[in-house]
Amino acid sequence: MRKWVALALVLMLALAAALPLPAESSAQEGIFTSLWQLNGKRIGVQVGTDYELLVEKLLPEAEISFYNSYPDLAAALETNKIDGFPGDEPVLKFMAAEDSQLAVLPEDMDPVEMACVLPRSESGRKLAEELNAWIVSAKESGEMDEIAYKWIEGPESEKTIPDYASFPAPKGTLRMVTEGAYTPMNYFRGTELVGFEIDMAARFCEAGGYGLIIEVMNFDAIVPAIQAGKADFAAASFIIEEERQESVVFSEPYIQCGTMMAVLKGAQGESESLSFWEGIRSSFNKTFLREDRWILFVNGILNTLLITALSMLFGTALGFGLFMMCRKGNRFANAVTGFATWLIKGMPMVVLLMILYYVVFGNVAISGLMVSVVGFSLTFGASVFGLLQMGVGAVDKGQYEAAYALGHSDRRTFYKIIHPQALPHILPQYKGEVVSLIQSTAIVGYIAVQDLTKMGDIVRSRTYEAFFPLIAVTIIYFLLEGLLGFLISRINVSIDPKKRSRERILKGVKIHD
Amino acid sequence: MIKIEHLKKAYPNITPLQDVNTEIHDGDVISVIGPSGTGKSTLLRCINLLEKPTEGRIWVNGTEITDPKCNICKVRQKMGMVFQSFNLFGHLTVIENIMLSPVDLLRKSRQEAYDEAMRLLRMVGLAEKALNYPDELSGGQKQRIAIARTLAMDPDIILLDEPTSALDPTMVGEVQAVIRDLARTGKTMMIVTHEMNFARAICNRVFYMDEGGIYEDGTPEQVFDHPVKEKTRRFIHRLKVLELDINSKDYDFLGMAGEISTYCNRNQIPPRMASRIQLAFEELVQQALIPSLESPIIHTAIEYSQEEQATKMTVQYNGPQADLTRSGDELAQAVLKGAAAEITYNTQEDRDMANQVVLTVRS
Repeated sequence: MRKWVALALVLMLALAAALPLPAESSAQEGIFTSLWQLNGKRIGVQVGTDYELLVEKLLPEAEISFYNSYPDLAAALETNKIDGFPGDEPVLKFMAAEDSQLAVLPEDMDPVEMACVLPRSESGRKLAEELNAWIVSAKESGEMDEIAYKWIEGPESEKTIPDYASFPAPKGTLRMVTEGAYTPMNYFRGTELVGFEIDMAARFCEAGGYGLIIEVMNFDAIVPAIQAGKADFAAASFIIEEERQESVVFSEPYIQCGTMMAVLKGAQGESESLSFWEGIRSSFNKTFLREDRWILFVNGILNTLLITALSMLFGTALGFGLFMMCRKGNRFANAVTGFATWLIKGMPMVVLLMILYYVVFGNVAISGLMVSVVGFSLTFGASVFGLLQMGVGAVDKGQYEAAYALGHSDRRTFYKIIHPQALPHILPQYKGEVVSLIQSTAIVGYIAVQDLTKMGDIVRSRTYEAFFPLIAVTIIYFLLEGLLGFLISRINVSIDPKKRSRERILKGVKIHD
Repeated sequence: MIKIEHLKKAYPNITPLQDVNTEIHDGDVISVIGPSGTGKSTLLRCINLLEKPTEGRIWVNGTEITDPKCNICKVRQKMGMVFQSFNLFGHLTVIENIMLSPVDLLRKSRQEAYDEAMRLLRMVGLAEKALNYPDELSGGQKQRIAIARTLAMDPDIILLDEPTSALDPTMVGEVQAVIRDLARTGKTMMIVTHEMNFARAICNRVFYMDEGGIYEDGTPEQVFDHPVKEKTRRFIHRLKVLELDINSKDYDFLGMAGEISTYCNRNQIPPRMASRIQLAFEELVQQALIPSLESPIIHTAIEYSQEEQATKMTVQYNGPQADLTRSGDELAQAVLKGAAAEITYNTQEDRDMANQVVLTVRS
């Protein structure tokens, strides 16, 4: 009962925090109409881009802070954490069209060219040549302009892409990575990945006789993925830039566009003011129902659950196995395990995943999902190992002695006497570990896994709703944690030796008085 | 049955067993006594290899258990052990505690194990606790269950490591009664104990342990009544006689009361007499002597005699020759007279402490 009250409180606080903020912020701050007014103001920049240099050049006194994605930047702007953020012209225009609070300043900060990114390997250069030839010819024939018009200005009904999954692939299949959260260049329409760059890549593969597989990952993880050879090329609105050319190969540019600055629109108060419930309904509609986006969430939940469940399974087995090896006090096993658990537990989870994905499994064709399972199995195994040490250590040593003195072997003593008494100590904390496991899976977006959090980001990049998808995702996490916690509590009850029935205790015995 | 040769057990900073050599015969009931820290428990625990001997060899029923190739589990099945702290399996009911090992190790059917367990439970008087968990039982009940659990394996040898030391004084009797019955069945037993009278009643052999080994080995009469060696004599005397010395007005009265109570428990002095001894000590020493003497030096010796059912308390004190038993207030004098059956005073000038009061306390 108390749990539900607490949950309701948290949710109400979250909702209350989400809604009334923007009106205040726009009232107190000035409304910007020109780029130069932003000098000395707070500018947000996406991690992994080079807008930082551009902002420093044009607005030398600006205060720069970094954000992970465009939905985050929009949210920061609306809550008055920043005063503006730069972005590519078509993307910002789409954002402004979707989000009534955003405006785009007229100045073009820097005309830029976007290109695909390829690895600096032999095969990367070869593919780059092929790609360049196609881009040049597509530009000459006007096909490229046609694609650009279609996705940036064209009507929704014409925005279709070739069915690249069923291409015959006489020359093999290419693996492409993109962000999937950058309308109109690459984004999800419903569950379908679409956009300028997807269309272009599909046309290139069709013309070149390649099959195509597209993976979605966080923007700042794309360049490392290309460098590590995890994909053949990336099309994610990369801007050609000298410094990056040292580490990757750029193709011919496929589009030119301006760099603009997004700021808050001044008079959004007049346009529409929805009541609280109407606001929620509209947000719910946009987040879940429009374009069948709930399917994205379902897929995300399935991926999150899959990673969690497999990591629990393998992690528990791993921790248990390690514990059994170290239990007898084997010095070598202890030293190795101690070092490994110290290393794994001390490393930030993102770093561990990145190392596994790019270094350990760098040359192995293994999906991000499997790498996540490996990574989380390792950390969960380390936790289970620690829990077992603690729980088994809590059992009185007299219990061992009594069992040994009766003639029980070491193994039997552990399984029949010690383990059943240690488990009730362990399970409550095991439950806590599972909850934190679910939460920590939220970072797998860095290695191309579309889990619940990533799906939330993808939806946010379409709706530019700052908070509703975040809160929805949070509630779903709560529900998942509650569900797993409940299952583990059931186990707790069924393994508690003191809750056995009289019949079970006296199984196989006939009582005659 | 058990042969021990040059057994040595050394820990990093202490060596409780230096060199133990002995032979234990079938049907022996052996009491192991001695000051604390002389390796009594260590000896027992070496015999079933709960402690790994540093050096030396041990044979049990002709099997050398110190041989690394020996299957110690098999040997332990025939060698029960009862612990000071009971060590019942906390997650199992009483009946399962007893049934577990016969079913798992002797491959008895559950029915057979259950019937035998119930027989043993009736023997120790706890049949109605069969489905209780250990933490629902008193200490004495736990220890009786632990003995039944050991018996369920039908061992040839039973090792009892201070089986009553962790018990409340009121529960010592019930456990001793069970052990006493056990000793009559002719099983080989070794028991570490501090209760001399109990030891004398059940055993046919006593090991006095000191100086890293078995210091004196003999029948109870020999060791308890006519010990040959000096250290044994002193230890037995300490078991029999409690001596308390007071050198200052600020002595630890509660500490001494505790020592008296321990002495009474150990010698199984009946509770009525025990409380009278406490009372007599308090009234005479604390109420009468301490306030009257300027710088008191008081020596008290308490000795219980089971045959006479009486305790003799001898109190010597310094100062001018004076009978101070009558120096306290009337109430104190009345209490003292009520506690002690006889009070005699004498004085002798050439002693360190000129005055001596002898009290006799009966129940």
